[in-house]
Amino acid sequence: MYQDTFEEEDLAAEIELVTSDSYHAEDPLDEEYVDDGTSHPLTSIQQQVLLQQQQYATAGAQIPDGVKNFIGHFHRHILDNNVYELHSVYENSFNKLTEKYFPKSTWPEPEYIAPLVSDGGCLSSPSFPCLFYQVFLTLYRELYYRHIYSRLTPTIEHRFHSYENYCDLFNYILNSEGPVTLELPNQWLWDIIDEFIYQFQSFCNYRNRLKNKSDEEIALLRDNPQIWSCYSVLNVLYSLIQKSRITEQLLVSKHGGDMQEAAGEYGSRPLYKMLGYFSIVGLLRVHCLLGDYTLALKMMDNIELNKKALFARVTACHVTTFYYVGFAYMMMRRYADAIKAFSHILVFIQRTKQYHTRSYQYDQIAKKGDQMYALLAVCIALCPTRLDETIHTHLREKYGEQLSKMQKGEEGIPTFEDLFLYACPKFILPNGPNFEDPNAANLNSEPHIHHSKIFLNDVRHQITIPTLRSFLKLYTTMGIDKLAAFLELEPEELRTQLLVLKQKSRQTRWSSGTLLEGEYVPTSDLDFCLKQVRQMVFLSQQYY
Amino acid sequence: MRAAKEGRAVPNMYCDVTTGVRGGWRRATHHKSHASHDPTHPTHPTHPTHPTHPSMSSTMPSISPSAPAKTRPEVIQSLIDGVDRYNPDNVSILEEYLTAQCQNEDYDLMANLAILKLYQFNPHLTTDQVIFNILVKSLTAIPEPDFNLCLYLLTEQMVADEPIQKLTLLQQLLEEARYKNFWETYDSDELYKELTSEVRGFTSAIRKVIANVVNMTYQTISSDLLRSYLHLEGDAYKSLLASYGWSDADGVVTIPINKHNEAKTVVIRENIKFEQLTKVIGYSNEL
Repeated sequence: MYQDTFEEEDLAAEIELVTSDSYHAEDPLDEEYVDDGTSHPLTSIQQQVLLQQQQYATAGAQIPDGVKNFIGHFHRHILDNNVYELHSVYENSFNKLTEKYFPKSTWPEPEYIAPLVSDGGCLSSPSFPCLFYQVFLTLYRELYYRHIYSRLTPTIEHRFHSYENYCDLFNYILNSEGPVTLELPNQWLWDIIDEFIYQFQSFCNYRNRLKNKSDEEIALLRDNPQIWSCYSVLNVLYSLIQKSRITEQLLVSKHGGDMQEAAGEYGSRPLYKMLGYFSIVGLLRVHCLLGDYTLALKMMDNIELNKKALFARVTACHVTTFYYVGFAYMMMRRYADAIKAFSHILVFIQRTKQYHTRSYQYDQIAKKGDQMYALLAVCIALCPTRLDETIHTHLREKYGEQLSKMQKGEEGIPTFEDLFLYACPKFILPNGPNFEDPNAANLNSEPHIHHSKIFLNDVRHQITIPTLRSFLKLYTTMGIDKLAAFLELEPEELRTQLLVLKQKSRQTRWSSGTLLEGEYVPTSDLDFCLKQVRQMVFLSQQYY
Repeated sequence: MRAAKEGRAVPNMYCDVTTGVRGGWRRATHHKSHASHDPTHPTHPTHPTHPTHPSMSSTMPSISPSAPAKTRPEVIQSLIDGVDRYNPDNVSILEEYLTAQCQNEDYDLMANLAILKLYQFNPHLTTDQVIFNILVKSLTAIPEPDFNLCLYLLTEQMVADEPIQKLTLLQQLLEEARYKNFWETYDSDELYKELTSEVRGFTSAIRKVIANVVNMTYQTISSDLLRSYLHLEGDAYKSLLASYGWSDADGVVTIPINKHNEAKTVVIRENIKFEQLTKVIGYSNEL
C-alpha cells in the first residue's frame, strides 16, 4: 500500500499564512489613555464622564489602572473599527491583564465597566450611536464569561446570563436592519463560535448530571428548556451560514469564480463571511458531538481540505477542523483517511510550533495535538500504514507501549478503551434528562461510554488480525493446515479469520470529490487469496 | 434568581436554507486505473486485463455497495440537504420512504440516518419498528459501517434492549465471518424472523454479502463449505451459483479471477519528473 507523499506545496502555503500573520504590536498597557481631543469630538462630555468615573471608582470595585487603560483602548478601537489594533488588544493585552490581575477571580462586572466609556446616557450625537455602547458591553461580557468558563467554575446564573448575552450578540448581527458595520479580527470571530459551542457542550453535560444539584437548580433547568437548547444552537449556526451565503460563495470559488459575485449584501462584509465560514466548521463539530458523523462530513462539502482554505488563517480553527474530520472518518471505519487527516495536521503543528509558543492558544493546540496522537495510534493499530518519519518517531515515543499492547488480541482492548476515552470529544445528548423521574435519567447520562462501547465492539471483531498478519508476512504460499498448526487454531477457525482479514483490508478511501465520497480499495500492504483445491493460501505483498 | 426573560430568543431559523450542493451517498463503483504519471503520487499498480467472464460484471454482487443516490427522489434529496430535516413534521415522509425501501429492496443510508436524528431530537416520535427496520437494512450493507453509524444515533437504553441486542449479535456474526453460526442463530429464534419480517429479500441480501466476501477471498472453494456459508441446498444453490457465474465441478467451485481475489506481488515505483528537482538543484548551486 502506498503512502501519499505529503502535499508539500499546500503545507508550505498554510505555514506561510501563519508566519506572515504574527503581530508585533506595541503594548498599549502602559500607554495612558489620554484623550487629546483630536479624534474624539465629544471632548467636553468626555471630561464630565471622567469626573463621574472617579466617583464610581471610589464607590464601586477598585479597578486597576491597567484595566482602565485597556478598556479605553478597547472601546476606541471598536468605535473606529480598527481591526488591526483590536487584534493585538484582544490577543495580547487581554491575556496579560488576566494573568496579572485576575488569575483566580472574575473581571470587573459589566456594570462597573460601563461608566468607563463615554456615551452612557446617550449624550452623544447621532454619529456615535448608543448602539455601539451596547455592542461594546455585549462584547465585553463575552470576554467576561469566557474568562469565567476557562479559569473558574460557572454557576447556573452565569450559564443562563451568558446564553442571553450570546442571544443579544447574534440578534444584533443577524436581525438588525441591514448588515452591521462592526468589524472584528478573525481570531475573535472564531473564538466566539468556538466558545459558543463549548459553552453549549458544557451546559449539556452539566444538565445531565442531576445528582448533586439543589432543588432550585433543578427547577430552573426544568422550567427553562429553551436555554441552550439544541435547536437554538443549530438555529444560530445555520442562520449565519444562510445570511452570509457562504455556501454559494464557496461553490463559486471552487469553480474558479469570484466570491464577491455570490456574496450578496451581508456576505460581502468580512464579519458575516467569516462568521458564516466558521459556522460551517462549528456544525462539523456539533454533529460529531451528537454522533452523526456522515452529516458532519457532509457539512464540509464545499470546503476543500488541502488548499489554502480560509480556515488556515486561524490556527485553532485549522486544528479543530482536521481533528473532527479525522475523528469522523475514524468512526466511519475509514482509517486510511483518518490517518491522512491526523498526519497532515500533526506535521503542521510540529512545523509551526515556534510561532505558537507565545500565543495563549498554545496550550489548547498542544492538547488537541496529544489527543490526535492517541487517535492516530488507534488507527495505526487497526490499519497499519506507513507514516511520515517525524510523526512516526513521535508516535513511538509517546505511545510505543500502547501500540504493541493493541496488537495482542483481547488483552489490548483496555488500551483501545483508554486511548479512545482520552481523545474523544465530549459527546452530548441533545435533550435534557427526564426531570420527572430522576432515576430514569441516570442510564442516559454518559454518551461517551455509549460511543466507546460501540467502537470497542467493532474493534473486537478484528482483534485476531494482527497476529494472523504477522504470520502471513513470512510466507508466499502456505498450506492451510500447516498455518493452522502454527497459530494453534482449527483450520475452520483459521478460514474464518482469513475471511475477516480480507474484509478488513479493504476500505472506502477518499480520492477526489466531497469528503464522503471514496473508492473501495485495498489499504493493506499484504494481500492474499485462498485456493481450496490444494488447501493453500497464496500471499502477495507490495514493495516499494 | 430571576428566571430568564421571555424575550431573549435566538434569531429564528430561516426556512429554505439549502446548502446548494447535491450531496448524496455516492460511491465510485468502478476502479479507476491511474494511467497518468502524477508526480506527487506513486503510480498505482495497473492490473493486466483479465479474460472477463461473461456474467461477472453484471450479476456478481458488486464489490462496492450500490449507489442509492440514483434512485433517491427529489423530495427526499432536498429534505436531507436543507434544514427541513430538523422539522419533526417531516418524519412521516422519511418513514414512508423507508417502507418503500423495504418493499423494493432498495437502500438509502442518509435518509435513514435522518430519521434516527429526528428521533434523537424528538424522542416522543420514536417508533420502534422503524428503528429495527433501519438496523436490519444496514445489516445488508456490510462491509459498510452503516450498522454502527445507526447505533451511534440511538441511546444507550435503546441499545441495551433485547431486540437491538439480538440484531447486534447478527451483526457480530457477519462481521466476524461466522456464517454458519449466523444461519444457525437466525433459525433458532422466532424473534429474528419477526424483526426482519418487514424487510423483503433480507435473506437473499445477506447471501449477497457473504458471496461478496467469498468472491474477494477465494479462487477455488469446496462446494460443501460454500453451501454451509450460504445456507442453501439443491436447486436454489445451483441457480445462485449460475447467477454469479461460478462453476461447480467435482465438489469444487471455481470463482473467476477479479481484482480482489488475485494475489499479485506488486512493485510500486515512484516516478519523479526532472522538473520537480530543479528547485533542489537550484539551491545546491547556490551553496
